[in-house]
Amino acid sequence: MKKRTLFASALLAGGAILGTAAVAQEQLPTHLKELLELGMHPGHSFVDEGREMFHKPGPNGKSCATCHGQDGVKLEGAYAKMPRYYKDIGKVADIDLRILACMTKYMGYDKNDKKFMKKFNKWSGPYRVPLASYVASLSNGQEINVQLNHPEEKRMYKLGEELWFMRVGARDFSCGICHTVLAGKRIRLQGLPDPVKQKVYTHWPAYRFGSDRMWTMEDRVRSCWKAYFLYVKQWNEKKDWVKKPPPYSEWVIALELYMKKAANGGTIEVPGLLR
Amino acid sequence: MKKIVIAGAVAGLGLLVACQPAAQQTEAPKKEVTAQKKKLSKHEKFKIALENQDKYQKACSNPVQLVPEGIDIETFKKEMLATVKFPEGGVVGKNIARGEKLFGDPKKGGKSRRGNCYACHCGDPQIIACGNIGPSLRGYGKRGIDPKETYIRIYNSWAVNPCSVMPRLGYHGVLSPEEIADIVAYMHDPNSPLNK
Ligand code: HEC
Ligand code: HEC
Repeated sequence: MKKRTLFASALLAGGAILGTAAVAQEQLPTHLKELLELGMHPGHSFVDEGREMFHKPGPNGKSCATCHGQDGVKLEGAYAKMPRYYKDIGKVADIDLRILACMTKYMGYDKNDKKFMKKFNKWSGPYRVPLASYVASLSNGQEINVQLNHPEEKRMYKLGEELWFMRVGARDFSCGICHTVLAGKRIRLQGLPDPVKQKVYTHWPAYRFGSDRMWTMEDRVRSCWKAYFLYVKQWNEKKDWVKKPPPYSEWVIALELYMKKAANGGTIEVPGLLR
Repeated sequence: MKKIVIAGAVAGLGLLVACQPAAQQTEAPKKEVTAQKKKLSKHEKFKIALENQDKYQKACSNPVQLVPEGIDIETFKKEMLATVKFPEGGVVGKNIARGEKLFGDPKKGGKSRRGNCYACHCGDPQIIACGNIGPSLRGYGKRGIDPKETYIRIYNSWAVNPCSVMPRLGYHGVLSPEEIADIVAYMHDPNSPLNK
């Protein structure tokens, strides 16, 4: 399904009122609220695209459905517990990394194939974002329930908490500056939410009208890092600006774990809809 | 299981690159070149960027993001003040127009959005897209504040208010002393839209 047919597809999906978390709704401008009431939610076409991909065989003939069941029956509720430690990869993974691991370990896609990785990482690519949206939607209606059992999960949570308050970079920022200390204030015209207290994780992955894209939490966290103006002083004191942490890196996943743990008990309703 | 995965991976590559050994040949020298230039990977770069955290930032990295107990605030301020470098031509610059650009338009401040004061402060009543994080700077030049104080505040706000949300723009080299002086000139100029 093409993303550009989103309104049509959303219309076909019927007149059901598609909810997003209360927090998100409050922030929505009127025209988006109206669209929601009409049952027109562009994020649903990404979920549909993900469902198709889920059943499509990879290079070795296996599809996601081969292991996780037709329509992902075995993945219901999985997203509610992510990020968590996975023995087969020996790491705490978020949904993006989990999908990448499944595709490269079990479906014959090649991690060292640059073309594939580019396609995978890409925001508008056919793999990561649609599959994450679809798999997350299989947990709709369930409560977020992230536990810290494995030592790696405990370590990553601590790292996430530390990173949340870590002042660093040329702007002396931290996540906590904008989202804990300044929550409720405006940066330019943009209101600052508190992702920890407001359990925003219930509506991620989310479709954002501003960018006409579906975002996973990886995308959100990495984009927020851009505000820091991190730099590397390497040669002759010349500053080399670093925009974002690498995708699927510990820094990103640790922050996701920190925020999602705080959202425990919140009911998952994805895809979210943001301005 | 493993065999299938490997076979699949090779088959996948085969579709993209017709001839495997050739691909290896072209890849090998590439790696050497990057090794010579000592180009850092994204991972290494990010790690270094985090390790660049200075001891003052570290002190402010707590849940309330303020100076923690046990650190003397006056000493903190003194140390921050000692970092402030003043421009040769004095703290009030000559290029008011440049000051206005740096204060306002993030795009004109260069690719790193260097000044961008409106992200946090209101000022010129014509500019409605302004944040409410810092106090309004409307009429700032009429408050009888010493321009040197303004200069220090922009160069290193932590010399005035340790752990403040306001970035230390001169300290980090985001703005040069001369550029800060131009912003000061814009803020204190009686004809500036801030003060009219
Ligand atoms: C300079 C300010 C700034 C910093 C620093 C910052 N953010 Fe944000 N963040 C924003 C703004 C502004 C938004 C709202 C964007 C929107 O609604 O379009 C946002 C949105 C978010 C959201 C989505 C909230 C929702 O309503 O769903 C999350 C999650 C988030 N940020 C996490 C982080 C994390 C993690 C960090 C640190 C790595 C961070 N932010 C650092 C400005 C910042
Ligand atoms: C990320 C937010 C942020 C940015 C960007 C920022 N400021 Fe501030 N500024 C503040 C805050 C918060 C204060 C309140 C006092 C404090 O904590 O230091 C402040 C205080 C000030 C004051 C003192 C005001 C008073 O009433 O005493 C001046 C002057 C000032 N800022 C100028 C600037 C200029 C000029 C720029 C851009 C070059 C700028 N600020 C950029 C957040 C910011």
